[in-house]
Parts: sequence; C-alpha cells; structure tokens
Amino acid sequence: MTTFTLSIFTTNTIGLLNRITIIFTRRRLNIESLTVCETERKGVSRFTIVMRHEDRDTVEKLVRQIRKVVDVLAVFGYLDHEIVFNEIALFKLATPLGGTALNIKEINLDWNAKVVHWGLDYVVIEKNGTEVEIAEFYQYMKNWEILEYLKSGRVAVGKTEKGLVEYLPESDWETV
Amino acid sequence: MANTQTMTAEMPMIEPTKFLSGAQAIMQCLVENNVKTIFGYPGGAIMPTYDALYDYQDRIKHILVRHEQGAGHAAQGYARMTGRAGVAIVTSGPGATNLMTPIADALLDSTPLVCLVGQVKANLLGTDAFQECDIIGMSMPVTKWNYQITDADEIPEIMAKAFYIAESGRPGPVLLDITRTAQADFMTKPFVYKPCEEIVSYRPRYIPKQSQIEEAAKLINAAQKPYIFAGHGILIAKAEEELNEFARKTDIPVATTLLGMSALPHNHPNYIGWLGMHGNYGANVLTNEADLIIAIGMRFDDRVTGDLAQFITQAKVVHIDIDPAEINKNIKADAPVVGDAKEALKALLPLVKERKHTKWIAEFKKYDEIEFEKVSKRDLFHDGDKIKMGEAVAMLSKKTKGEAVTVTDVGQHQMIVNRYYEYMKPNSLVTSGGAGTMGFALPAAFGAKVGAPDREVIALIGDGGFQMTIQELGTIAQSGLPVKIIILNNNFLGMVRQWQQLFFEKRYSFVELQNPDFIAISKGFGIDAHKVSDRAELSTELDKMLAATTPYLLEIVCEKEENVFPMVPAGGGVASIRLE
Repeated sequence: MTTFTLSIFTTNTIGLLNRITIIFTRRRLNIESLTVCETERKGVSRFTIVMRHEDRDTVEKLVRQIRKVVDVLAVFGYLDHEIVFNEIALFKLATPLGGTALNIKEINLDWNAKVVHWGLDYVVIEKNGTEVEIAEFYQYMKNWEILEYLKSGRVAVGKTEKGLVEYLPESDWETV
Repeated sequence: MANTQTMTAEMPMIEPTKFLSGAQAIMQCLVENNVKTIFGYPGGAIMPTYDALYDYQDRIKHILVRHEQGAGHAAQGYARMTGRAGVAIVTSGPGATNLMTPIADALLDSTPLVCLVGQVKANLLGTDAFQECDIIGMSMPVTKWNYQITDADEIPEIMAKAFYIAESGRPGPVLLDITRTAQADFMTKPFVYKPCEEIVSYRPRYIPKQSQIEEAAKLINAAQKPYIFAGHGILIAKAEEELNEFARKTDIPVATTLLGMSALPHNHPNYIGWLGMHGNYGANVLTNEADLIIAIGMRFDDRVTGDLAQFITQAKVVHIDIDPAEINKNIKADAPVVGDAKEALKALLPLVKERKHTKWIAEFKKYDEIEFEKVSKRDLFHDGDKIKMGEAVAMLSKKTKGEAVTVTDVGQHQMIVNRYYEYMKPNSLVTSGGAGTMGFALPAAFGAKVGAPDREVIALIGDGGFQMTIQELGTIAQSGLPVKIIILNNNFLGMVRQWQQLFFEKRYSFVELQNPDFIAISKGFGIDAHKVSDRAELSTELDKMLAATTPYLLEIVCEKEENVFPMVPAGGGVASIRLE
C-alpha cells in the first residue's frame, strides 16, 4: 500500500465536496483523511485528500476524473517523500487527585507536544506531527486515562520551489 | 413648505424601475442563445417560468411532451441532429426525477443538454416541502455541471455558463435547479446577457499540442497494419470530411463504433464495418492483427473491447480525444493526442505519408465473405414465411438510399439496424449507446425530426421498448410532424431472450410479452398505423410509410426467436466472436 496525497484546488462552490467524493465512492476508493480550507487566492478552496492504494495507475485515473470536474482548477498528486506534511491531534486526559503525575518536561521536549488547556481534573494536550508520530505519542498517552482523542486530516505542501497556487490556470487572481 | 410644494408640482411621478422577473430573464436568455424549440412539461414549481413563456410563444416554440422522460430524450434527439444543446424544462420533485434517465444517457453519449428544473421556494429548501427533491444531489453523478439558482440576478450569467459547458469540449448534460423564488422575483438590475466564452476552471483543449501530433504521425507513418477506430467524436466535431481525406491519403481501414456510425459512408473504400459485441466479424477479429490502432473520439467501451487483457495487446495505440480523462482509462496510449477530432485530423493530414494498404484491407473483405455466408445470407435471403428484422431493415435501407436518419431503441433491433442499414450520409444514427436506455427511440426520433425537419426520420423500435415511452405518440400526433415509426415486433424482449438461450440454458425468465393492439393504440392517438406480417407485402407497406406526409406507424411482425450474430460473449475476448 502506498500513501498518496492529493492537493485539489477548486473554485469555492456549494456542493463541490460532494462532486469530488462521489468520484471516490463510485470506484470504491476509501478516503483516509480530508481537509478543506481557503487558500491565499480569493475564492479558491484547497482540498487535501489522503488515500492508500497499491496501484498508482488507479490513482492517476482518479486524478484525471477529478480534474474533469468543471469547478476544479487543478489537482496535484504526491508521494510522502515529495511533501512536508502534518496533522494535529488533541488528547483529553483525566488527571484525578492521586493519579500519575504528568511529566510536562518529557511531553514538551521529548514529544514536542504541549498542554493547551488545564481543566479541574483533566488536561488537553496538543500534538502536531505525522500520522506515525501521532500514533507513537498515542501509545505514550495511554499511560494516562485518555478521555477523548481526535486528530485532523493531513495538510501538506509540496517540496517545490514555487507555491502550488502559482500553477493555477491563468486568471486575475486576487490575493487574500 | 413652499419649496416642497414646488417640487411636487414639477416632478413627475417616478415609478420604481421594474426589471425583468427571473422567469422573464430565463426566456430572454433562451432567445439570446438562439434557442428556437424547448421540450417540457409544466408543474407547480416551474409555473412562473411557464407564465413568462406564454408571452414568448412567438420566439420560443414549446413542445408539450407526455412525460418528462420524453422531454429529455426529445431534447437529446434534437441535440444530436443540430449539435446545439437540447433544452428540457420540467417541474421539481417527480418532474425532475423523471428527467434523470435522459440526463444519465446524455452524459454517457456526450450529448449537450440544458435542463431547466423548477424547485420549491428558497425558504422551503430542506424542509421536505411539497414536490421538493434534492435534485442537485441526485443529478451530481450524471451531469457535466449543475447549479441551483436562488437569486434572479444570477440567471443571465448562469444560463450563459450552462450553454457553454453543455456544448463545449466533450458535450454533456447540464442541470439548473431554479427555485420558484428566483423565477418569481424581479431582478435588481437591468438584464444584460453576455455569452460565456471562458471559465477559468474549465478550459477544454481543441487544438492539440504539435509535439503530440508529430509523435502520432511518426507511428502512423511507420505502421504496416494500421487500423482506425472512428467514434462519436468524429460526428460531434463534424470531422467526417477530414476523416475521409485522412483515410484516403493513408489508405487505412476504418471501423466505426456504434455511436460513430455514419462517420464514413458505407460505400467508402476504407470503411470496413463496425466494432463491438454485435459488430462485423472482420472488424472485430482483425483488431488483434493490427500493429497500430488510431482511435479517434472513442473511449474503448467494454462493448468494443471485450476482455481488455486480450484486446489489441500486440498493437501500438494513437488515442485522439478531447477528454483527457479518456486517455489511458481503459487502454494505454503510446501516442495520446488531446484535442478536437477535426483539429487533430487537420494537423495530422500534412504529416502523414500517402500509402497503400490494399492487402491489409483485403483481409477484412475475406472475413466479410464468411460473415455473409454464415449470418447475413440467413437474415436476408431465406425461404421462411416470417419476416426477419434484417431483411426489413435492408429493404428500408435500399428504399431510402441509406439517407434517412434512423433512430433506434435498445436491443436486438438496434443491432440489426446497425448491421443492415447502409448509411450514406453523416450523422444518421441516433441511438442510446452507453446507457442502453429502452424507451429512448420514440421521443428521440421526435426530437430529431424537430431538429432536422428536412430529413426523413425513422424510428425503429422493438415491441418492448416501444411500450416504455408509448405515451409520446400523443406528442407526435399533436405536432403533426411526419415521424415514421417502425415496430419490429417479435413478441419478446429479444436480446434478453437471446442471452437466456445462449448463456442461461434457454431458461426464458420473463421475456415473453402479451402485447396490446399497437395499431388500435396508434390510431387512438390519431396516428395512421398499419401492420404487416406477410413477407410479400413488406415492400408495399414500406413504400406506403415512406410516402406518408403525416406521422405514420408500421408494425412489422417478425420471426419470434431470431438471434443476432456475430456476437462476442460478454467478458470474452473479441477472438471468441460467435457467428451462430
């Protein structure tokens, strides 16, 4: 299985997410993670979709089908070594009286994570990193009682000299 | 005080400026787009637009169909004849869902449609209101583009975009979901219509890259046994003349796909037949002998390739298509050319060498002889009493000199028409290829006649498919247009029966029909109708039909259990083609 990261630039249109995801559904392809945000160009949205597949050819065909959608401006496909990528995870840990104390120094320095909220008998810890780093940190966090855990989808930038928005079709783009 | 009085006395009463209503704007957009005919069916959510239409009757001809599916297929037939987007207009909810089949059909067969669909008032969206249906969500997978209009001011721009997207690049269906609010409200600014010429996120490439053309020309000039697959793209791009020139100069044999039928006249020296499950023997088998396939405006559908793992594995492939998503989708292209078929052929013409492939073309003719002996002879020259579909179609072909527009439904008769009608004029077959929609032919034939009133339009329909959209006889009768309708009646869902016979041990599971009296029904609708079951009378009956200047139905009672051959069994390689 290879992990592919698709960066999809679209005009900001209602229903476009649906138009893109049905292309996956129809081919029985699973989306591992999905992040949508506005870009530095006004009216342009960026979808970052992570998927795993053993066959590059299938992913390339998928990319061509996404490019075909009228409101899609550009699609870029990447392998992991071609991008810098990250996710953000939040852990809500129980800190009852008499429980194991948190090792803040270890969390900060060894795990590069931080406590972002102190509750009365819980804390919220934020960890940024790759899927693998977050998974490892999760194992460490299990030393305490995890009340809640969740993470975002991947965001990724290509290891190219220019920003991807430079490759959008020519137009009078306004910068945000 | 005095001042105010003076003002009142001098100022005339100023009426607040009234701009067009959304519904009027829709009409005005149609006029600006030079749309002369629309096919539709009114209902609650589209009523404001129908009210505006009342004032536009002198400029826009509305044809009232009998079911929304009929509006869609008629618009398809119209589009296929004119090359312009066919317009269908229906109401929300069931009106819109009834349009889904034609829309899906149009997407698969690259037919431009603009579907104007009513929607409940904007404030009722998402409340399960009467006749509300999420038609944007439903139509998303089957449209090239769709959009919900909630504001009257959006109408001119969105309508222009709709026509541009439907007609440009690889054509396809566009659906506009127009809320009753947007139709009934007045615009807040003057109506200005500007045709859409470009969309930043959608820029179809017409002129191919020169490097791709040169790569393709190199392969073509080096090939010993090149073979052209001509698809629907040729007809859409109106590239018949370029194809003719290209084929003559390079002397390469040309087969068409089902939708590419009539891209070359059948008496063209390079035309060797058609590809596909029921295509010609040589055309199919010799795909495996060619050293180069030049595919133009076709998409290597599974009904053409059979088992992909066994299809043209020995050959290099030049694939010309305007849709980049088709390149390498089913078959890897050694030389892909993205662009319009006409532009690509024009660019290739000066680069390809004049050649002679006499021996290679003669190989196809050898297979033709075998096919004639084993299949055609049995269909055309038999001594049975019953009429065979093949002979009826061949006779029709002769009588019309191959110049009519044939509109077929789906099934055995469809394949028989393609086998035995000798097309001499371009763009002469309207059929549902990709979707295989039974019920397509009757409304599509009507739409085709509206689009091409000067051509003889003949619908050829099986007894099964005819009953799926039979109500459109009413539309045809009301219009008075001389659409000719032939029912090839074998009292069976023939193609399914054939498969059950060949692949399911003759277990005939629900394929025999108890048919109504088609003649009485047709006459009930006010359409002249005749029935023929005697071979000796077939010729006279066809003559009578062709002479008619009003709508006319001819029921031809055919042999019940005839099979269509050649046939490539589903999933098999083209080499496994059966002749009996």
